[in-house]
Amino acid sequence: MKNPASRAILTVARSLGLAAILVTAVTAGVAPLADLVEAQKARIAAMKSAPKAKPHVAFVSNGVADFWTIAKAGAIAAGRELGCQVTVEFPGGGLGDQKRMLEDLVARGIDGISVSPIDPVNQSDVLSLVAEKSLLITNDSDAPKAPRLCYIGMDNYEAGLMCGKLAREGCAGGEVAIFIGRLEQDNAKRRRQGFIDGLLGRTPDAARYDEPGKPITEAGYTIVGTWTDSFDRAKAKANIEDVLIKHPKLALMTGLFEYNSSLAVEVLKQTGMQGKVMLAGFDEGADVIQGIKDGFVLGTVVQDPYGYGFESVRLLNAFCKGDMSMVPASGILSIPARVIRKDNAEGFWKELKARIKAGKEAPAK
Amino acid sequence: MKKNLGILGILLAVCVVASIFGDNFLTGYNLQNLTQRSALFGILALGASVVIVTGGIDLSIGSVVCLAGISVPWLLVEHEWSPWAVVPAVLAGSALIGLFHGLLITRLRLQPFLVTLCGLLLYRGIARWMTGDQSQGFQGEFDSVRALALARFPVGLEAYSVPATVIPLVLLAAALAVFLRRTVWGRWLLATGRNESAARYSGIPTDRLVTGAYVACSLFAGLGGMLFIFDIGSAQPSDFGNFYELYAIAAAVLGGCSLRGGEASVVGVLLGAATLQVLRTAIILLGLSSQLEFAVIGAVLLVGVSADELVRRLRERRAERAAAP
Repeated sequence: MKNPASRAILTVARSLGLAAILVTAVTAGVAPLADLVEAQKARIAAMKSAPKAKPHVAFVSNGVADFWTIAKAGAIAAGRELGCQVTVEFPGGGLGDQKRMLEDLVARGIDGISVSPIDPVNQSDVLSLVAEKSLLITNDSDAPKAPRLCYIGMDNYEAGLMCGKLAREGCAGGEVAIFIGRLEQDNAKRRRQGFIDGLLGRTPDAARYDEPGKPITEAGYTIVGTWTDSFDRAKAKANIEDVLIKHPKLALMTGLFEYNSSLAVEVLKQTGMQGKVMLAGFDEGADVIQGIKDGFVLGTVVQDPYGYGFESVRLLNAFCKGDMSMVPASGILSIPARVIRKDNAEGFWKELKARIKAGKEAPAK
Repeated sequence: MKKNLGILGILLAVCVVASIFGDNFLTGYNLQNLTQRSALFGILALGASVVIVTGGIDLSIGSVVCLAGISVPWLLVEHEWSPWAVVPAVLAGSALIGLFHGLLITRLRLQPFLVTLCGLLLYRGIARWMTGDQSQGFQGEFDSVRALALARFPVGLEAYSVPATVIPLVLLAAALAVFLRRTVWGRWLLATGRNESAARYSGIPTDRLVTGAYVACSLFAGLGGMLFIFDIGSAQPSDFGNFYELYAIAAAVLGGCSLRGGEASVVGVLLGAATLQVLRTAIILLGLSSQLEFAVIGAVLLVGVSADELVRRLRERRAERAAAP
């Protein structure tokens, strides 16, 4: 094999081999995605003639919060109503914990899973696994590139837009700060972008993305920055205190995760700055609702976690009977957000408390 | 004392940079916030330093912060206990955790790293289980108890009042300093850390001292956890106090405690805890990206301890040269 011709042939052959391996790898990575959706649909169709008497389905959150307790109440209620077994899991340890829970549920032979993926882009492996062995739908945060049969939730961009418009109504201009747990999640990015676009009165465009590091000055507002805390509440509180020091002229702030808004209320109260710095809230923290009633919180945008839980179980149960008719053509079952203001705060709070109570009392498995 | 100069230098340097290039660093309100956070983390760091003096380590501090902290609103709000019962019960529980660690380490001869690593998992797990993983808060009540962390004492300065958390910090720091420097038991503790076998053969009750160190560490962590939750108002069992042991250990080491044991400086530890908090705030006031936080803290720590080590070696070499005939 010493002459140049044979060496050249060998090189070409090797390159071809490598190319073949690459092509196989790429197609292997792409093709199963569509296949997995079709395979799930085929399995559902097959169940039409042999429906599961008592399907066992699971609802997996992206963390631990009162928000998810309400979702759990919805899931359990649907299970009771429809006569199917429901398992609810709250991963407390982030991405790794959620992966483990999904794998364990698949190993148990669960019939279907509704999950709120923490990092949809990088979780394709485990989401594909669920689709392969069970039935996959997503809730709260979507994974459009995963083989999911349906997404249940609101459009986080739309909800952010509502929050931004709420802020715009209550505050005519000035410096604005954004606080959010983390920005890795798709729902967090979209919610933040929606808020910015709503506040600045831009034409809605969910594909737009303003870099978090740079201040934005537009339409009489200056968004001075976005601060994250990786779910460390002491850090989240410190962020708000520090930003109030760095920007003494701050006119408005928003906390885009539940505890961000609650802590903002806490800091405003402790510093006696209620009313001096306005707050546009997100989610339904008790002190945020109280702040709305007291008048120094403009309002808050609330999702319907009960609906996420309920619809997840309803859909998965129908799948197990061979019925896919409830899935809209877009693949997105929209459960819109609501704005809570002073006039509807009290009624909302009563309904919420009843649902949390139901979620806490319901067994998870 | 010379060791304290190093950490004091770093702290001052960060303060100078933050006050020149950052916004409103030298305002009363900011300094008040910094005092509060330094005091909270300072209490944890003092506890960590007591264990580090013995040559041990406590990795469970963050989880004890979580368990103790979460227990307070859980007992007060969910179980309607009286605050007069809750505070002593939580502190006693924390001390028991320390006693448990100490006995496992001294009687069963288990490695402190292992025992407290298991503790880290155990206490967080218990906190999550007993609360059903629900966030615990005071629901707008118990302001009189929360005053233990939220009260402010005016000192005649505009916009600056001394946070209440400074009181337990100063009391604990003073007690610890007196214990280490002025009592026989304190001297014995340092001797135990330097060479446990030698100390034991000299008749020092090393087992009792080591056990006591772990009791103190968990007690401080429990107190810290309680004050943290009074300050924040609510917490989530799954993430409250995560990694706080690392802040405590970093502050202790930055403040002059050797991980090999036998060395400690109470003032240094307080300066170390303050430096970490000032750094975190400086990053925001300087307008740096908050994603850089850990990188900046890591880099400053590394520069600090490296400079300290180099100065120490230089001094030793000089001493050797001076001693040579």
